[in-house]
Amino acid sequence: MKALGRFAKDINRNKALLLMVLPATLWFLFFSYLPMIGTVISFKEYRVSQDGFLASIINSKWVGFDNFKFLFSTEDAYVITRNTLLYNAVFIIAGLVLAVALAIVLSEIANKRLAKWYQTGMFLPYFLSWVIVGYFVYSFLSFDRGMVNKIAASFGADPVQWYSDPKYWPLILIVVFLWKSIGYNSVVYLAAIMGIDKSLYEAAMIDGANKWQQIRNITLPMLTPLMTILTLLAVGRIFYADFGLFYQVPRDSGTLYTVTNVIDTYVYRGLKTTGEIGMSTAAGLYQSFVGFVLVITSNYVVRKFNKDNALF
Amino acid sequence: MSNNRKKTTITLASVLAASLALSACGSNNGGNASGSSSPAEGNSSKGAPVELSWYTIGTPQKDVDKVMQEVSKYTKEKINATVKMTMIDWGDYNQKMQVLTASGTPMDIMFTASWAFDYVQNARKGAFKPIDDLLKKEGAGIVSTLDPAFLEGSKVDGHNYGIPAYKELPSQEVWRFNKTILDADKLDISNVRSLESLEPLLKAVKEKNPDVVPFQVDKNYGPYVPYDYLIEKFPLAVKLDDTSYKVVNVLDTPEMKQALKTMHKYYTAGYIPTEAATTESSSDVMVTGKWFADKATTQPFADNLWSTSAGYPIVSTPLSDALIYNWSVMGSMQAISANSKHPEKAMEFLNLLNTDPVLRNMVDSGIEGTHFKKIDDTHMENLPESKNYDMPTFSLGNIMLTYLNPGDPENKWDEFKKYNAAGKPAVLLGFNFDMSKVSNEIAAINNAKEAYWAPLMTGTVDPDKYLPKAIEKLKAAGLDKVMAEAQSQLDAWKAANNK
Amino acid sequence: MASMTRSRDFHKLSLAWNVFFNLIAAIIAIACVFPFLFVTIISFTDEKTLARNGYSLFPKKWSVDAYTYLFKAGDQLLRSYGVTIFVTAVGTVISLVFISLFAYAISRKGFKYRNFFAFFAFFTMLFNGGLVPTYIVATQLLGLQNSIWALILPMAVNAFYIMIMRTFFVTMIPDAIIESGKIDGASELGIFLRLVLPLALPGLATIALFSTLGYWNDWFNALLYIDKPSLVPLQSMLMRIENSMQFILQNTNNPSLGVGILQSMPQDTSRMAMVVLATGPIVLAYPFFQRYFIQGLTVGAVKE
Repeated sequence: MKALGRFAKDINRNKALLLMVLPATLWFLFFSYLPMIGTVISFKEYRVSQDGFLASIINSKWVGFDNFKFLFSTEDAYVITRNTLLYNAVFIIAGLVLAVALAIVLSEIANKRLAKWYQTGMFLPYFLSWVIVGYFVYSFLSFDRGMVNKIAASFGADPVQWYSDPKYWPLILIVVFLWKSIGYNSVVYLAAIMGIDKSLYEAAMIDGANKWQQIRNITLPMLTPLMTILTLLAVGRIFYADFGLFYQVPRDSGTLYTVTNVIDTYVYRGLKTTGEIGMSTAAGLYQSFVGFVLVITSNYVVRKFNKDNALF
Repeated sequence: MSNNRKKTTITLASVLAASLALSACGSNNGGNASGSSSPAEGNSSKGAPVELSWYTIGTPQKDVDKVMQEVSKYTKEKINATVKMTMIDWGDYNQKMQVLTASGTPMDIMFTASWAFDYVQNARKGAFKPIDDLLKKEGAGIVSTLDPAFLEGSKVDGHNYGIPAYKELPSQEVWRFNKTILDADKLDISNVRSLESLEPLLKAVKEKNPDVVPFQVDKNYGPYVPYDYLIEKFPLAVKLDDTSYKVVNVLDTPEMKQALKTMHKYYTAGYIPTEAATTESSSDVMVTGKWFADKATTQPFADNLWSTSAGYPIVSTPLSDALIYNWSVMGSMQAISANSKHPEKAMEFLNLLNTDPVLRNMVDSGIEGTHFKKIDDTHMENLPESKNYDMPTFSLGNIMLTYLNPGDPENKWDEFKKYNAAGKPAVLLGFNFDMSKVSNEIAAINNAKEAYWAPLMTGTVDPDKYLPKAIEKLKAAGLDKVMAEAQSQLDAWKAANNK
Repeated sequence: MASMTRSRDFHKLSLAWNVFFNLIAAIIAIACVFPFLFVTIISFTDEKTLARNGYSLFPKKWSVDAYTYLFKAGDQLLRSYGVTIFVTAVGTVISLVFISLFAYAISRKGFKYRNFFAFFAFFTMLFNGGLVPTYIVATQLLGLQNSIWALILPMAVNAFYIMIMRTFFVTMIPDAIIESGKIDGASELGIFLRLVLPLALPGLATIALFSTLGYWNDWFNALLYIDKPSLVPLQSMLMRIENSMQFILQNTNNPSLGVGILQSMPQDTSRMAMVVLATGPIVLAYPFFQRYFIQGLTVGAVKE
């Protein structure tokens, strides 16, 4: 009873802020939390019942963890886990370094008009779908019509069958990914740099700090919270691979699977024939769960260092 | 703090539960409301007309609603039902229909086939209503019109779940040739049949026309072997003349080994495009006409169709017999949704669609006088407005009822019937493998298979080296277990059907 | 204004570094623009020339067939542009409101439930119920089928943006400002609207940009929820053509599909033309946001 009274008091004290979170909270309830009930499908052999979705879920057979088995049954399990993790780790680290570096470069360029042009340019790849990017990469790497082989030929080098030699692909995929995402990712950091209190730089100037010292001592520390948060969020999705990048860009070439097969492409190929939604839901749950554990762990570590930079 | 958090969680949970209950009520109420109106409808054709919702494949056409109004006037008179058609574009159909059925969205009739919104799988998943009884009553016209092989061949576990469109029944593989090059190089195709017999022609073309692809092959290609596949592009198959119905790994058969060797020979000789294994389609080469031969599936008058669409003459010669496969029977079907509130009406409508030329042509070509003009009883001509109602004929039921266009051969449908009559059932016709017990293995096998399939089939890699590797990987992924399961299902089917 | 010129001075780079920075940025920018230029050129290439010679910067024969083909849809194309613009504008405003309110509340140290709500939002980034359950909630519970709101609401809130926005609030808004507002007797909402938002403009612009792009590029919600042609947005219309082209191409071996369907469709070129049509307008809108990312020195001036 007393606890209830205290609770009511707390609510009252936080009334205004609670009202602020209300709209998005309702949204989350309807569009995220309510549908989460559907996750039980991953433990079911889903069969349609004529009385609607709930009836279908209830009437479908429990299969325990059977729907998860295909993710671990062969040696592919190792390959796809390794590929997904390693690529994403590189993407997170290289993406972070490049995006921050680029944001600093753009913010430092004296001619703002030029800087705007550069930035608009860097943003364009974001608009191209992976299918189009796939065509584009192909126009470079095609065996008999590709630009790379044509150029190589003019230097007397032998043409390369790019789409059947796995050794080139880790690099190609990383470059293509960074190329496509860098403009988009640097925007956040650019905006953050703009938000830094200019008097900090002025004070540093008075103390005689040069440009590098300013970047090291003011810009980077001010960006750290954002970098931490974005990295934490990316870690949460480390088991999700960008399907289009790994499927469309290598043109689904079988000989490249050792370096291009990731969890998402594996699931797609595996379920093409059977179309079991129980199994695809299971795969998603597995990806989420691993990401969740990793984020909670890293968030815990971040909290140890600096409570303000943590997610929650 | 933690105490409070718990409480908030409880509140949240109850909100969730409440809204869930709401949603459940919502759908139940909806169900009851329309459910209560259904008894009235079943008894007689009087009373309020029933609206049938019909989902079908194809690029949505501007005038669909307009045409369906006319169709509804006609069907209201005939069977006291109106029709609402929803068209879903080719590329979206699979996904959208999967969501619609899994979510229990009310529907009456839907398009299904072996290649779009997979008929067998979805029948097993419970998306369709079994129609055995409906066919006997409301669908009697269909039974008497349709070649019996269609209904027999499209049974899943002994029940019919859909009505195949009356169209070409068997499937026959052919070699196609670019006639321009054939004539220029003075080549003769009368002795061509096997893959090996192509060789002298390819060699000649390669020598005389350096800029032409002698043998156009893309990643969808698979050499013809006399086996009937259990699942399309999946290595399990039964030999066509095998009366013992033994399931084998097709990659492990002498025929396939031979074919892949030949393909690799052709590839090394430069007859096949270098990047065949990753080329999605041959459409580029079709446009330029810089090809000599390829493999295709035929139907009556296919050469004419191919030539018209390519813009230059194409001829073909068979490489296999015309056989009736499961997938050729299931090329285009209409099924009744499991949650349909008016299955009888839906069947009456499908019956009419497959037997009544007026309705069938209205659905196919639109409103007479607006979209098309009738010339005589069996001929019509499209009017300019037909661009707003351009439907894929084969997907909408019995094509033998449709009027002929100017330029169509007079004997078009007779030829189709002749072609159908000549088809022989393939060994697995009527047997559909139930994958649900081995779906984990199938997922793993698919991944192992895709890594090797296209490179092997297109001849890109040496089968001596890669075939054993592929077989080993497939085994590791559980092919033997799937094979055993398939064999036991097949044996049971064989016993049940006295084969 | 005076403070702005002053701040320019201290922010200046040495000439050599400036040239070097310009060079880096220019190279990356060109690498990013080039494909786009290429796509535009391909979209104006003759389909047959393309099939014969492959992609080329200087095609032997130009053509507008791809655009003629796409404009055949005529008024549908215009209407789709209209739907997209409406959805993007309304959607962006709604998401800005929802996201900034939520993010601001959980950025406030005095908010007792901030961690709970932060976790509440974050959790949805990882776990979701999947397609079918979401579809059921949207159609059967909220009745969004064939409604313009089906294109707006499902994307209105995004936990990722909330987390970014919260970080902006935490790092850009000094506690002192909020305290001073409180001392002046302003309400929480008043503090948020009058004191906090003006300082958080770069952050708001970032979120606005992201959500504008999100709405502009979205085609999936339309695939799920929209059957009415009058409500189909641009990307969805183009995506349908693209997907169907792909589907038919993959099934060319299928005799049932018939041969005629693909006939007069310029495939590769219209694919590229679609990119041009879909991207052109939004690229033009980009500078509107950009001033908050690059010119932002004035923000510092305002603060003083």
